[in-house]
Amino acid sequence: MPILETKGVKAYYSTPLGYVRAVDGIDLALEKGIILGLAGESGCGKSTLVNTLMMNVRPPLRFIEGTIILDGKEISSMNRSTLKKNVWGVLVSLVPQSALNALMPTQRITDLVKDVVTHHMNVSEQEVISMAKKRFEQLNLEADALYRYPHELSGGMKQRVVIAISTLLNPKLLIVDEPTSALDVSTQKQVLKMLVDLKRAKIIESMIFVTHDIAVLRQIADWIAIMYAGKIVESGPTNDMLINPKHPYTFSLVNAVVTPEPEVKSRGLISLSGEPPNLLNPPKGCRFNPRCPNAMEVCRSKEPPLEEKSNRLVACHLVSS
Amino acid sequence: MIPRIIKDLLKIKKLDVSLGIFLGLVLLSLLGPMIYPVDPLSVVGPPERPPSSAYPLGTDNRGRDVLAQLIGGIKNSLYIGVIAALISLGIGVVIGAISGYKGGLTDSSLMLMTDVVLVLPSILIMMLVAAYLKERNPIFVSIIIGVTSWPWVARAVRAQMMSLKAREFVYMSRIAGLRDIRIIVEDLLPNMASYIFMAFVLLMSGAMIAEAGLSMIGLGVTKGISLGIILYWAQLFESVRRGLWWWFMPPGACLVALASSLLLMSTALDEYFSPRLKGG
Amino acid sequence: MNPFIRFITRRLAFLLMTFFIFLLIIFALPRAIPGNPLASLLYQIIQQAQSNPDLVKAVYKKLLEEFGMDKPIHIQLIEFLGRLSRGDFGTSIAFYPRKVTDLVFSYLPWSLGLLIPATLTSWVLGNLLGALAAYKRKTATDNFLLTVFLTLSQTPYYWLAMILLYVFAVIIKVFPLSGAYSPGKMPALSIPFVLDMLHHYALPFSSIIIGAMGGWAIGMRVMVIYELGSDYVSYVDSLGLPDRKILQYVFKNSMLPQITGLAINLGTILGGALITELVFSYPGTGFLIFRALSTLDYPLIQGTFVLIISTLLLANFIVDLIYAFIDPRIKTGYIGE
Repeated sequence: MPILETKGVKAYYSTPLGYVRAVDGIDLALEKGIILGLAGESGCGKSTLVNTLMMNVRPPLRFIEGTIILDGKEISSMNRSTLKKNVWGVLVSLVPQSALNALMPTQRITDLVKDVVTHHMNVSEQEVISMAKKRFEQLNLEADALYRYPHELSGGMKQRVVIAISTLLNPKLLIVDEPTSALDVSTQKQVLKMLVDLKRAKIIESMIFVTHDIAVLRQIADWIAIMYAGKIVESGPTNDMLINPKHPYTFSLVNAVVTPEPEVKSRGLISLSGEPPNLLNPPKGCRFNPRCPNAMEVCRSKEPPLEEKSNRLVACHLVSS
Repeated sequence: MIPRIIKDLLKIKKLDVSLGIFLGLVLLSLLGPMIYPVDPLSVVGPPERPPSSAYPLGTDNRGRDVLAQLIGGIKNSLYIGVIAALISLGIGVVIGAISGYKGGLTDSSLMLMTDVVLVLPSILIMMLVAAYLKERNPIFVSIIIGVTSWPWVARAVRAQMMSLKAREFVYMSRIAGLRDIRIIVEDLLPNMASYIFMAFVLLMSGAMIAEAGLSMIGLGVTKGISLGIILYWAQLFESVRRGLWWWFMPPGACLVALASSLLLMSTALDEYFSPRLKGG
Repeated sequence: MNPFIRFITRRLAFLLMTFFIFLLIIFALPRAIPGNPLASLLYQIIQQAQSNPDLVKAVYKKLLEEFGMDKPIHIQLIEFLGRLSRGDFGTSIAFYPRKVTDLVFSYLPWSLGLLIPATLTSWVLGNLLGALAAYKRKTATDNFLLTVFLTLSQTPYYWLAMILLYVFAVIIKVFPLSGAYSPGKMPALSIPFVLDMLHHYALPFSSIIIGAMGGWAIGMRVMVIYELGSDYVSYVDSLGLPDRKILQYVFKNSMLPQITGLAINLGTILGGALITELVFSYPGTGFLIFRALSTLDYPLIQGTFVLIISTLLLANFIVDLIYAFIDPRIKTGYIGE
């Protein structure tokens, strides 16, 4: 059974000018033990999607329709307090995009850890601290950091501490939102290594990793899903996706990045023109059609469904034909 | 054609209400003397009469018309408020701009001076200076108020200046070799225009209350009338104990209305220019 | 050096410097006025003590001696500072022959007794109500509270005092009209006296808290709304931490700037409270200052102002100390703006 399964999930932002359709009909099935890389340009709805996946939806964002089943439980019908008690932190944890600011400046890490864990589990404060220490050591983090205030830690440290804290309650699914965007390359490596270690040490079973940087996905993701304008346009195994992208958007994303694989290198660098569409009023038909070099007549009128094609899911009229 | 920003602003309910109240009172003070040409300072009737058709707000202990006093008082309070606010604004903006732009020793010393003025309670300093002046005309009073109320403006302007200074367009001007003063006046101040306007509104509100406070101790303007002075007389001649509510309630109410509407205006403008404060 | 000590020393140095600047102002003012202030003062004294030329002579001599108007300026300053350090503020003119220090210390306790509890109470109440409004932001409750706070923050305490006095002491005669205690009674530590005192205390106290509360509430509301939208709040929220606990965090973080705000606003509250004393004929330093200023009683003016300012600066320092204890960033030497 997949750890996470969604059908037709829609979540829109309510603004004075109308609905911004950030997540517009997402069908997803994440098998256990997989690291899924969710990629796309800035503003395509990735962060909104992962927040919606755990039902962390607050105004002006509204959950419009759809079902989300996490570990066999239908979380899309739960209310906020049930979610807070039984799901968040325990079944699924989200490492936010702004992890560097996610720690309260006037609180020591130990206090945060104590408060979070004792709310969910019936353990003493000492047990919490020893749990935390053990976890930190498992992940190559100095246990000392626990006793510090956030401003005493470096950016990379803070990021890793936040990831570690998010795993303390042993959630089945860890969602990490752009963990490397604000970091320099060497710190990025540390963070990625930590995520890989999490999986290897079986602390975390499944993971969703959000990024706009395709190059990073090569190193960590088993499966990639590409998002564009609120919809998933292609998903499949990492290597296949990078070497043989089928959807024109995936193709241009992959080719905008320098990669060592000879097959990709030979194609040269191609950049995509234009801008992502305004989600208040997305284009008719396939949302990618204004920028697609291979756009056909049907692309402008009919939206391509997400279909299975060999080992992938693709939403493209060109590919379907 | 009305600029778009004015149209947008007029749509904000808070702004409409506060602007309405404020302008209403201003209009009252300006048109009042024409519609109700009674001299606030001369005796027009029997003393201590409650409101009636002859005297809409009654008479004070000497028989002077309270409504006339109110109209004259609002005008003078507004006048002192504006002048004092302009003085504070001038001092605060200049010091804040120079301090924020120059940085270093200039900044530290200017801010030190600002902090000293900030800590010393302005009312007390005002009282002290006012006491030693025999003749106090409205300009003097405005100066006293203006010269003690600027520290927070300086600090705020400095903060804005420091964040703007690092922006690209300033860098361009510097490379082009423009002199500092020109950069401050042409590049930076216009970007703070909205903030400066809000500061002015707040200063004005504070100044009117400060003037009332000074007048309450008898240290306001020596000749003439203001909302504070009406309250001073009301207090001196025991209007509360004698139940002469029409004498002390209206001036205070007007003062509160003027100051609150100004504050509301400033809050509404602030929300418009920095939407995050709307509390989404 | 321990960053905590560094912070405290810096603040202490600043407050001491401010105090000195104020002393200089107090010293310079009467001497900087054109015309002979002593002569005009004398004229006033003569008017007040017409029947007693000996009294006038005595006062004049005392004044000359204490103000040293006939000596060069720098000698005057040295004598002034010297006398100050001995706690000698001279003899009052309006209340001759009472000494200034004597007068101030007999009126000061009443003011402090009013001010300190009123400031603290309004601060606590204001912050709580502000947090409540923020929690219920964008609802009818919030809008209502906001309007109330806004208006209150611009309402002078003394006018509020007049209204309260009118309603509760003139129309419904539940509270006394004036004074700190009933006339004729002598201050004593007996139950009946204390009750009588509290009875007189109620209205002045209420005027100050109602007036001061509004400002705190508005500030706190803004802080809490800001904090509620911050990243750390969304993070712990997504980890399942209950709303109750999150509010605790937010409250704690919002309090820090409010403590700083307390230090900054002490002066304003002080000023407002002093004027309010007038309305109640409350025997505090407000009354003293009023008397001193209207009679141009230089020694008394000097004495009251210097003592009030020093109390204020001391209070500032205490608040700084409390803040340094509470904000962990100071303890760990974090220097930021």
